[in-house]
Amino acid sequence: MMKNSNKEQQNMNKWFSSGSPWIWLSAGGVSISLISVLGLLWLIASKGLSYFWPADIYEFKSINDQGIHGTVIGEIYDREFIPASQLAHTDIKLAPGEETVERLLVKTGNRELVSLDFRWLLVPEIQTTTKPEDVVVIERRTNGNFYGYIESVILDGTVVDISKLPELLERVDNFQEEIDTLQNSYIGAINYKIERTRLKERKYKLDNELTDELVKELNTEVADLEAEYQVLEAELMGLRKQVARDQIVVRAMDGQKVTINFEHILKVTYNNRLNFIDKFLTFLQQISAFLVDDPREANTEGGVFPAIFGTVLMVLLMTVIVSPFGVIAAIYLHEYAGKNAFTKLLRIAVINLAGVPSIVYGVFGLGFFVYMVGGSLDQLFYPETLPSPTFGTPGVMWSAITLAILTLPVVIVSTEEGLSRIPSAMRHGSLALGATKAETLWRIILPIASPAIMTGIILAIARAAGEVAPLMLVGVVKMAPNLPLDGNFPFLHLDRKFMHLGFHIYDVGFQSPNVEAARPLVYATALLLVTIIVGLNMTAVSVRNKLREKYRMLEH
Amino acid sequence: MISVTPTAVADSPNKIDLNNLTPEQVALDIKNLNLYYGEKQALQNISMAIPKGQVTAFIGPSGCGKSTLLRCINRMNDLVDICKITGEINLHGENIYGRHVDVAELRRSVGMVFQRPNPFPKSIYENVVYGLRIKGENNRRVLDEAVEQALKSAALWNEVKDRLHESALGLSGGQQQRLVIARAIAIQPEVLLLDEPTSALDPISTLTIEELINDLKQQFTVVIVTHNMQQAARVSDQTAFMYMGDLIEYNDTNTLFTTPSKKKTEDYITGRYG
Repeated sequence: MMKNSNKEQQNMNKWFSSGSPWIWLSAGGVSISLISVLGLLWLIASKGLSYFWPADIYEFKSINDQGIHGTVIGEIYDREFIPASQLAHTDIKLAPGEETVERLLVKTGNRELVSLDFRWLLVPEIQTTTKPEDVVVIERRTNGNFYGYIESVILDGTVVDISKLPELLERVDNFQEEIDTLQNSYIGAINYKIERTRLKERKYKLDNELTDELVKELNTEVADLEAEYQVLEAELMGLRKQVARDQIVVRAMDGQKVTINFEHILKVTYNNRLNFIDKFLTFLQQISAFLVDDPREANTEGGVFPAIFGTVLMVLLMTVIVSPFGVIAAIYLHEYAGKNAFTKLLRIAVINLAGVPSIVYGVFGLGFFVYMVGGSLDQLFYPETLPSPTFGTPGVMWSAITLAILTLPVVIVSTEEGLSRIPSAMRHGSLALGATKAETLWRIILPIASPAIMTGIILAIARAAGEVAPLMLVGVVKMAPNLPLDGNFPFLHLDRKFMHLGFHIYDVGFQSPNVEAARPLVYATALLLVTIIVGLNMTAVSVRNKLREKYRMLEH
Repeated sequence: MISVTPTAVADSPNKIDLNNLTPEQVALDIKNLNLYYGEKQALQNISMAIPKGQVTAFIGPSGCGKSTLLRCINRMNDLVDICKITGEINLHGENIYGRHVDVAELRRSVGMVFQRPNPFPKSIYENVVYGLRIKGENNRRVLDEAVEQALKSAALWNEVKDRLHESALGLSGGQQQRLVIARAIAIQPEVLLLDEPTSALDPISTLTIEELINDLKQQFTVVIVTHNMQQAARVSDQTAFMYMGDLIEYNDTNTLFTTPSKKKTEDYITGRYG
């Protein structure tokens, strides 16, 4: 007996000293991390992508506890079980022993008829469920989706056959496209030029250089622009009229007929007639529309293009700002600063900067960059626009600079790390050939350290792209009317506010009037944000790997 | 006593007398050189004249200061913060520790090759022209010519002429060391310092480098530090034996190895310590 337990003890000791428990433990740790990452991706991908998949449209005939018949048309959004006790006041007959009741959340749309987009349906109340082939989903520019049956198509006042519908829709699409370019490119440009002329005049006035001649010149300029504007305006009106020519009459679930003008229609789909391939194509179309369209209806519908653009542009600007500053600071700390207590203190301060909560950087950015620096810039260079600020207000440049400061420690630390890993033989070799310290740095040290610098930049991008809190103070808005990059001189408008995917998620998920409807959009946007950050990182990583390959040191 | 076959030395046509060098024969004149690392004195009052166009070897046990002395000649010790130097080293009658000396300029006339091959992570070509580019030479023809010249002098041309634009890190250790020598001689220094250049190499590469050193003295004054006495005997014309920061004995190699005048030298070269 005694011998046996001794032997067991020995075996146990052997097992411990063999190291396998630790291998199992670390493998377990790795698996848990991997599972969490995959689980996260799976969740947001499945929830987000299902938003784009064309859903089946059901028609439910139900009878409620008062014996009233009703019809509900819509797509099933969610289903859940509620305790039967909640339904005690109703007459619903439950099977004995049944304690829960299933209910469906149905998206019914038709906002002009019912103010709610969604409706709960108790499963026991449903009499029949069908998938009628003729039911259509009409996606609209305003008021959300409409679900119903097409009654008639009206072409310029006369009823025509439904088969004309695709043709008419395409015509309207073309006109809409023309209207968009006219509005955004041409009319936008004219407005921009008129505004600049007005500012020019004010500037002359402020500088006391305004002569009658100049006034005349500027006035004719404005008059020319305005004449041009009138022409375009007339053209626009004509197009609008064309677009508004035709209507469609649709019967909703309760039998009411609604006339929808073509100008509001984006797309008409017979969801129940689609086979798998059609659905897949529609799915891809929806995804690309999500990527390239502007948001509609307080961001709860449409695409997120301005937010993608804003996020990427801001991150790129941030990278351009943080890289040289971080590298220069690291070079100074590592190569030139004396090796004394002050340098040590400086280094500790830099590392601690990384621990400052990001919102604090936002407050700093607002107080220092926006109000102090921006305010002074306005006084010096843009007095003509005052009191409305140019740089003295949150904008994409201040956001990029604020995030650059936020990510500066990351770049400094990893660059220093890279510098200290370079064997001194490299420096000595270069110095012995008559190079000065600066030449050695520039020609030998920095190239060899470049993979480490890239690592810093990768970490900086990863941190900055996901940061939302400080941006809310220094430049992000819910809805930016213009992109920060456009065709009007000077093309890159650093003073403009911008949209950001991270803020978009917050805004759609918590601030929108229709949280339930926007939920899938939150997942879809989150998936997109992850994809973009991973994409930016992958680009940086591949650059780093190329550099690594190039400056690979021989294993000594 | 080590048997030396002093062929190279004995047959050397420009046999010189170390104690009676004319100023034209002197490449480097070291006078009363003291070096301190903080409190510790690493070189004690060294005075010696290194003759032009010859190979001078520094030998001695580990920590005797031979590498330190070598590094004084192109001021590589400047990189050590706590290092303090007194005394003179004269090159062309001018003290290299003088006030107005441009260190980069000095290092161009006194090249150095280190213990381990340290090619830059660049192409073979870019390694060789590095010093020239630093000097501001960017003419393609001049650079091409210099590369060929330097690689030929370093006995590497035939091995690498077809892959000049490949990474220097793909070369073997011995080739890398010859590349580093080519890199140093491409800028036409007057003095070439070799700090144990073969200690990280295999015997065959070592032999190639030793043969190379023999050729190099036609063009340059070579100073070599080595822990290998046979090597010193094989390649050098003069040998200096150092011990604990002191220069014990300095004489032509043949004499030093066959009839050392100091007891310490004799003990060292017969292998009693070291």
